[in-house]
Amino acid sequence: MLVFAASDKGGTGRSVTSSNVAYRRALAGDDVCYLDFDFGSPTAAAVFDVPGASRGVAAGGLHSHLQGRHTEPHRIDVWAESEHEELRYRPTGSGRLVLVPGDRDGGEFAIGKDTVRRCVNLFLQLESEFDVVVVDLSAGRSYAVDMVLEATAQPELARVLSRWLVFHRWTHQHVIAAHGLVFGERGIVAGGVERGHDKGALRDSIRFVRAAVPDPESPLWAHVPLAQSEWMRKCDRDLTELAAELDLGYARLLGKIPLEPVLQWREQLITDEDVLASKVAGMPTRQALEELAAALVDEEAWERQ
Amino acid sequence: MTPPDPGPQTVLCGEVRTSVLRTSEALTARTATQLLNLRPDEHVLLSERPNLRVVSPHQLTGVDCRLPALTGGRPRAVGTVAVRAVLTEGRVLQTSAFARLVPGVGSHRKPWGHYLLRPGDIEPLARHQARDVVEGFLASAPLPGGVLNPGSIAERLLDEVLRHQLLDQRAPFKSGRTRLRWTALPAAEGAQASIERFTVAADGLRTVALRTPSADPSAVAALCEDLALHDWLLTTLLALVERSRLGSGDGEAVLAALRPLVDHLLHLWMPGARVPDALAGVWETLERRPGFSRQWQSLVQRIRDQVALRTVPLSRPVMARS
Repeated sequence: MLVFAASDKGGTGRSVTSSNVAYRRALAGDDVCYLDFDFGSPTAAAVFDVPGASRGVAAGGLHSHLQGRHTEPHRIDVWAESEHEELRYRPTGSGRLVLVPGDRDGGEFAIGKDTVRRCVNLFLQLESEFDVVVVDLSAGRSYAVDMVLEATAQPELARVLSRWLVFHRWTHQHVIAAHGLVFGERGIVAGGVERGHDKGALRDSIRFVRAAVPDPESPLWAHVPLAQSEWMRKCDRDLTELAAELDLGYARLLGKIPLEPVLQWREQLITDEDVLASKVAGMPTRQALEELAAALVDEEAWERQ
Repeated sequence: MTPPDPGPQTVLCGEVRTSVLRTSEALTARTATQLLNLRPDEHVLLSERPNLRVVSPHQLTGVDCRLPALTGGRPRAVGTVAVRAVLTEGRVLQTSAFARLVPGVGSHRKPWGHYLLRPGDIEPLARHQARDVVEGFLASAPLPGGVLNPGSIAERLLDEVLRHQLLDQRAPFKSGRTRLRWTALPAAEGAQASIERFTVAADGLRTVALRTPSADPSAVAALCEDLALHDWLLTTLLALVERSRLGSGDGEAVLAALRPLVDHLLHLWMPGARVPDALAGVWETLERRPGFSRQWQSLVQRIRDQVALRTVPLSRPVMARS
């Protein structure tokens, strides 16, 4: 399965959340590969705490591979190379977790026919090797988004299961922007249709993930003045209504990640150690990530329309 | 003490990529022939005994490159690399690129017509030591840009064949590709073919160094394709058995995981089936140690036992209690 992680703007926690989903899928026994297609700032390696690659690798990364400068992009075995204490020992029953980093001095590049061909080859190869291939795309309607839309429109990839996760923060602006990114005139759906995708099928393969969502019912806010708590609830209701109007409602919702300082500031994988022993991350966050990872492969969640 | 330089020697070198064919059912001889019909002017080779093996015609890639070398400079060389695709039992696809580095040194690049008359030959334009080229070629790090790299030629052909419209892109199980890089130096006068080393580097690259009496690149490449095929089978079976959690309690899940192995892999083991006598010694060495077939048989036995155990209905109390 190919999973494309997109977001309307930066700062939505797309990379950190999708990395955590990849990690959770690997813990569940899937072989997982994570591709850093954020050509502007390849930083996924930092999330996985891989030394020497935190801003992409010096040579042999994804950018140069797609541009034809080498045939095999560098792979990092996260279980073997991560410096994260918890990640250094691969748990029994877990699957492989492989990171394919970007190039340090990457940047966006023009997309020609050859680039798309290499991209198709790469997806086909990884899909035949891994259960889940997460592709972390740069924010907005980037070159990366265009390229994967073009690649997945090719007949060779027609039978390969592709799913999109669109991350957005839970604010008025972000809900509108996420709607624009997917359904707008220059959005993912329109861009896909232009390249030969079936409109209905593409729409149905897209789900939203709400990030940094403050939960008005959380004990965190138990001691705020009544007026403030009322106001928070009202905002949340208004946003829920707005999302429903814009087709970002329940049917297209795959997960909600609570506002979590560790995700915001440390931008790392949340392990059980973080939740249970050092308690720097909250149980609800761990729960939300686990549910999102489960929903990713849950057919029912993808049949809702 | 280093042995004296034996003078100019022929070096054969190549790389084999092995992958499952991405199709839900194994191809028949007929469709396999269509798949590998890479050149309209030459025939696909088909052989059905002792198993189905289809070989594409050779393609040539012109190279003007540097030779890999561990110690000295990297001499320039010009010529062509031959590449072909091989499909075994309609299920395992290999692409194999190889070349013969001819002894002797040219002084300047000749017109392409000269090289095209010598398909698969590469002519060095500066002095070099065969041993040094072998060591440089087998060093596990990725070969630097501009250096002779049959692997990337094989990789390109593999991707091309795997995208063919005959394939439905649905492999029956998940598996990776393997890469096997090899070299062959001439064996001592009257000696049999032998294997000097077989290693697996951290990045998964297999390297094989051979000594062969035959300097026929195609025959030596076929031996290496056979080694790569069986190495891939063993690697893939090991990975799939590990994933199936054979020892765990969930019978249904284990059976579901083992089923594609029984359907698509177990019957493919046939080491050395087509290797000519002059090269057969290499397989004999490998069978003694590490003992490829030994490991394969033990895995196959384990799979069969599990399948048998988990399909026997436990309707009666276990007899041992009586």
